[in-house]
Amino acid sequence: MQFSIQREALLKPLQQVVGVVERRQTLPVLANLLVKVADGKLTLTGTDLEVEMVASTPAEQLADGETTIPARKLFDIVRALPDGARIDLKLNGERAALNAGRSRFTLATLPSSEFPTIEEIELVEKVSLPEEVLRDLMESTAFAMANQDVRYYLNGMLLDLQEHSLRCVATDGHRLALKETQLDSQVSTRRQIIIPRKGVNELVGLLETGDGQVELEFGRNHLRVRRGDVVFTSKLIDGRFPDYEAVIPLGADKQANVDREVLRGALQRAAILSNEKYRGVKLEFSPSRLRIMAHNPEQEEAVEEVEAETPVSDLSVGFNVGYLLDALAALHGEKVRLNLRDAQSSCLVQENDNDQSRHVIMPLRL
Amino acid sequence: MDAFYASVEQRDDPALRGRPVVVAWRGARSVVCAASYEARKFGVHSAMPAVRAERLCPQAIFVPPDFSRYKAVSRQIRAIFARHTDLIEPLSLDEAYLDVTVTKTGLPSATATAEAIRAAIREETQLTASAGVAPNKFLAKIASDWRKPDGLFVVRPAQVEAFLTPLPVGRLPGVGKVMEARLAELGIATVGDLRALGMIELERRFGRWGHRLHELSRGFDEHPVQPDRPSLQISSEDTLEQDVPLEQLQPHVVRLAGKTWAAYQRESDRVARTIVLKLKTSDFRTLTRSLTPRVLPASASELAELAWGLHLRVDLPAGTRYRLVGVGLAGLVDRDNHVAQSELFDMAVAPS
Repeated sequence: MQFSIQREALLKPLQQVVGVVERRQTLPVLANLLVKVADGKLTLTGTDLEVEMVASTPAEQLADGETTIPARKLFDIVRALPDGARIDLKLNGERAALNAGRSRFTLATLPSSEFPTIEEIELVEKVSLPEEVLRDLMESTAFAMANQDVRYYLNGMLLDLQEHSLRCVATDGHRLALKETQLDSQVSTRRQIIIPRKGVNELVGLLETGDGQVELEFGRNHLRVRRGDVVFTSKLIDGRFPDYEAVIPLGADKQANVDREVLRGALQRAAILSNEKYRGVKLEFSPSRLRIMAHNPEQEEAVEEVEAETPVSDLSVGFNVGYLLDALAALHGEKVRLNLRDAQSSCLVQENDNDQSRHVIMPLRL
Repeated sequence: MDAFYASVEQRDDPALRGRPVVVAWRGARSVVCAASYEARKFGVHSAMPAVRAERLCPQAIFVPPDFSRYKAVSRQIRAIFARHTDLIEPLSLDEAYLDVTVTKTGLPSATATAEAIRAAIREETQLTASAGVAPNKFLAKIASDWRKPDGLFVVRPAQVEAFLTPLPVGRLPGVGKVMEARLAELGIATVGDLRALGMIELERRFGRWGHRLHELSRGFDEHPVQPDRPSLQISSEDTLEQDVPLEQLQPHVVRLAGKTWAAYQRESDRVARTIVLKLKTSDFRTLTRSLTPRVLPASASELAELAWGLHLRVDLPAGTRYRLVGVGLAGLVDRDNHVAQSELFDMAVAPS
């Protein structure tokens, strides 16, 4: 196996795959990247057995073959080489020789036969959508995923594929984020899959803005995303996502429209004096006005007043200010609408002119 | 107080005076609550199985405990303490720390105060007490054992190092059998050895605890006397009639959860955050498992369910039998400081 490539051309696919490699592995070979030359191109693969990332790039002076090379070391070397350096890599027996200008490195390898790859995913459904849209859907919801919750099915993101739409949903049990988009193609049956947290993070890191298309392949136990020269595959979480539609409030008849940036600024300031642990703020609604209050154990106090288009009076609800700020950051548009019922019920936050993006936040009993 | 429960029994029944007395419930499974000094000569001590005490001292008179009388005496001695200071930190019915830096009586020294208190106790309760006088709590506690019974021992600031140096490390608070063994491996038997090892080495080996050990070895203890320290845990426990395997403890857990819950209901202004399951094996190993759920239990049965769930985290060999089980609620905080985040989904929170 042999190839020659310019530093920058190698650095990009390396960056795309190296993030998948865990710092601590269960198998030695998982610390390595699969490096393969075939069909006139160079292909790099990283895996942690749950998420696999494959990136390919054209290269010169190719000799077919494959091996595995320590991922972190290869990445650190390539990154540290001078701009524009030409890199030659060649497999010599059990060693890989990397030469660039006057630099020479000899790296240990492990046989490629030991490297686990995901081949067939038993395709059940396939949709295509703009890369930028998928990125926005995932970025607008990923923050709400649970982290190491005993309810393992919350430690990831639900992709809810419906007849004409795709929804991304994430929740940690206290708040929920949802964003949906219409699909050009029609889907035969509704499918719900849960991508694990790590897969979500790697995928968001891979997706870029721009007008490219990505292919989403729903497999029986995997999701595969094809984007140009990169193929992302993640195992799915085998579990049932809770009935999220049931917790999106319908009877929240008390509404307030507020300027998004003004509300965000007021909440950020009030947050400074909220209890560090619970981060509670109290929202008090009265006609045309929203008052935000926070206090901490030191008895310091913040009061903010914001103009609001609302007829609501005599309603006071507590929330974790972090959840409100996360939701506002994920929304676009000038105005947001808060939909509430009472101090015990959840609040639905959305843009005031559409419901593509919805955030449900449970109150904090202060 | 000296041999407190046993002394109260001897005071109230002249026939018991001068004879070995053991305060313990009847029954094959009971443990000794207290032993008079006459009984201690035979090697009987509190917390020992009553059966063993009987074997060691067959002539001992066994008396069942009567806590109402002990509590009455306890109130009497606290009233005596209160004449001298309000800074009283009770440790049990018959033990307390007193901060006598400033006293209500204006007696010239801590030693004089201790003597006055001991004299009043003798006068008013016809019982004897021992006292330790020292610059801090941990030294006072060690000193109070020094001249028992009916004694007083004073450790002046200048004597602290000399007093501590020959003491076995096991006398330091927090140093149990395990720690003692680990220190012995390092060739450390006395507090003086510990001090010689130095702070850096102790911290390197034992982390923050090493730092504390070093402070103790030099006689430092900054913990103030804390009057009215509220109990940090509400719990109920039972020694069982017979040692039983883990799986058979469930009905006991349910019963004890009910008792704990009832006691917890009387706590109107505090909220518990942690559930504790306590077990003691037939060979007297104590273990606890705890859980701080996001959603607190709302009934005795929910408490029982969560507490019983903790038994899955006990990893002793399958044949292990248990002699004691307890269910507790810990991490009590003022209700005002407790903020509850509501849940989106109605899901039972199972311990993992």
